[in-house]
Amino acid sequence: MTRVQASPLALRVSVLVTTALFGALIFAGPAFAQTEGEGTNDLVRAALVGLGYYLSNSPWLLGIGGFFGLYRPLVAGFIVGIIFGDPVTGAEIGAAINILYLGFISAGGSIPADPSVAGWVGTALAMAGGLSSEAAIALGVAVGLLGTLVFFTRMSVDAVFAHWADARAEAGDADGVARMNWLPPQIFLFFISFFPATIAVYAGSAVVADAINNLQTNAPWILRGFEIAGGLLPAIGLALNMRFIFRGTVWPYFFIGFILAASTAGGINIVTIGVIGVALAFLHVAFVGDRAERAMQSRGA
Amino acid sequence: MGMDMSDRPAVKLDRSDVRRSFWLWTFFSHANYNYERLQGTAFAQAMVPIIKKLYKDPEEIKAALKRHLVFFNTEPNVGGIIHGAVIAMEEQRANGADIDDDAINSVKSGLMGPLAGVGDTISQGTITPILLSIGISLAAVQPGGGRGNPLGSILYFVLEVGIMLALAYWFWFQGYDRGREGVTSLLRSGLLDKLVVGAGALGNLVLGALTFQFVHVYLTVTVKVGDGTFEFNEILDKVMPSLLPLLFTLLTWWLLARRRVSPILLLGIYFVIAMVAAYPFFAGSVVDPTTQCPSILHEFYQPDCIPPPAPAS
Repeated sequence: MTRVQASPLALRVSVLVTTALFGALIFAGPAFAQTEGEGTNDLVRAALVGLGYYLSNSPWLLGIGGFFGLYRPLVAGFIVGIIFGDPVTGAEIGAAINILYLGFISAGGSIPADPSVAGWVGTALAMAGGLSSEAAIALGVAVGLLGTLVFFTRMSVDAVFAHWADARAEAGDADGVARMNWLPPQIFLFFISFFPATIAVYAGSAVVADAINNLQTNAPWILRGFEIAGGLLPAIGLALNMRFIFRGTVWPYFFIGFILAASTAGGINIVTIGVIGVALAFLHVAFVGDRAERAMQSRGA
Repeated sequence: MGMDMSDRPAVKLDRSDVRRSFWLWTFFSHANYNYERLQGTAFAQAMVPIIKKLYKDPEEIKAALKRHLVFFNTEPNVGGIIHGAVIAMEEQRANGADIDDDAINSVKSGLMGPLAGVGDTISQGTITPILLSIGISLAAVQPGGGRGNPLGSILYFVLEVGIMLALAYWFWFQGYDRGREGVTSLLRSGLLDKLVVGAGALGNLVLGALTFQFVHVYLTVTVKVGDGTFEFNEILDKVMPSLLPLLFTLLTWWLLARRRVSPILLLGIYFVIAMVAAYPFFAGSVVDPTTQCPSILHEFYQPDCIPPPAPAS
């Protein structure tokens, strides 16, 4: 679609960086997962998780592939799983953690929590501790709250680079303005995201594994508490998303979806539900159609 | 303006120029996200190929760069319609149309708010959670305890990126082709509302199914009725399968949406409830999970564990 030969420096760099970093992430992971428990390999694995966390916040994957892709624990957990040699468990843990961030919306420069750090670091720590995916949810939440620090640091410091861009504009240097939007902020972001995440995984894995071993023998009820929490906390993630769509004329579909799944004891495939949903959505728009504006308004809102 | 426009040759943008600007924005819209200007510098970066093509006078280039370095914030995919419209305005301006800085600024600042609202509802509020729900449901541990399928993660990634990219590309060129009046009429046409409503219907259905899969609330309490004892949870399940998780989720929604309870506070409360429920009040300090039920809020760990004794009546 694009004519790459004439594209600006930023696009060429981005293609290069994307290929190199993403390639490293996908291919280096399994290679290191082959050999067991050596210190260097632990560090490399931790660094790959750190790299993934940086990438999820970066523009290099088409922009969209970052915030709408690697930023989500569902995707992050899967790749962490590849890095640690067990993609199935990784994806299961990532999926469970992601439930809490189903209603995650970043608007107007603020985030309520950092799903990405919960996905990357949370999954890695949960796998190191051998936690079930239900118990991993609570761990992911705790890690996710810490991650907002990175976001707020970045949002504050990046303002400096806007002034650097002003100076380039004053000099009439268009390419300089463009460069200030990506080069310095990305170097800075790399430092504040890659290193903390890598250290957290490298140093945290042993701590979490020890702690969980300890609890297993001395206070197993705490781990069970984690699992019970893993059954309760998803209600918050689901309800946060329901705030936006459980309203107007479309809320009854929530109950239809629940009954479909509950009456078949989960035997009905989600893709089947999706297809039914698309059909119902078309019917709903066809019949409610021109009253659509009012259809999503909640009572009294 | 006060400049004589007649002596300058017409400058036309190629579609490839507009496309290059689109890619720059798609990649770098949040590369320098900051509290002072939000996406301000990213807007300027996206306009660089346009500015370089349209303006040759260094003073005009300088003015154009400064014009687009101001505060800007919108939803990056749907909001691209603003960039499209602004590019069209810059093109007309470079060809002598009477469009001053204020006109361009007012289009940007006037549309970025409404499109952030509509855009966030479409991209972050509906499409993303729906696709996430589908991916999560596939990749997570299955209701019967079966292993998850990591293809769910891949499916989500591919669909999400593909749909968002198509959406962003479409809106960008809608903005460029229709211009500022066209953008307003598109917003008024009700097309976006229909999209939001349809996605809302689908989203609710999927969310309902996900609630069954992920919310687990059990009351492992035995009730004495006449001669027999009954599991409280079994009685409820006969009324309706998984009634408790449904009621619990609706309660959570009511607390968050209607009572405006902070989600973080609710996280803390639910966590404490889980911990209290897990504490083996009935069974001494250490419970053997293979023989004794771990908690009254959890399903039986083992099918034939010994439940906590029923309160003496």
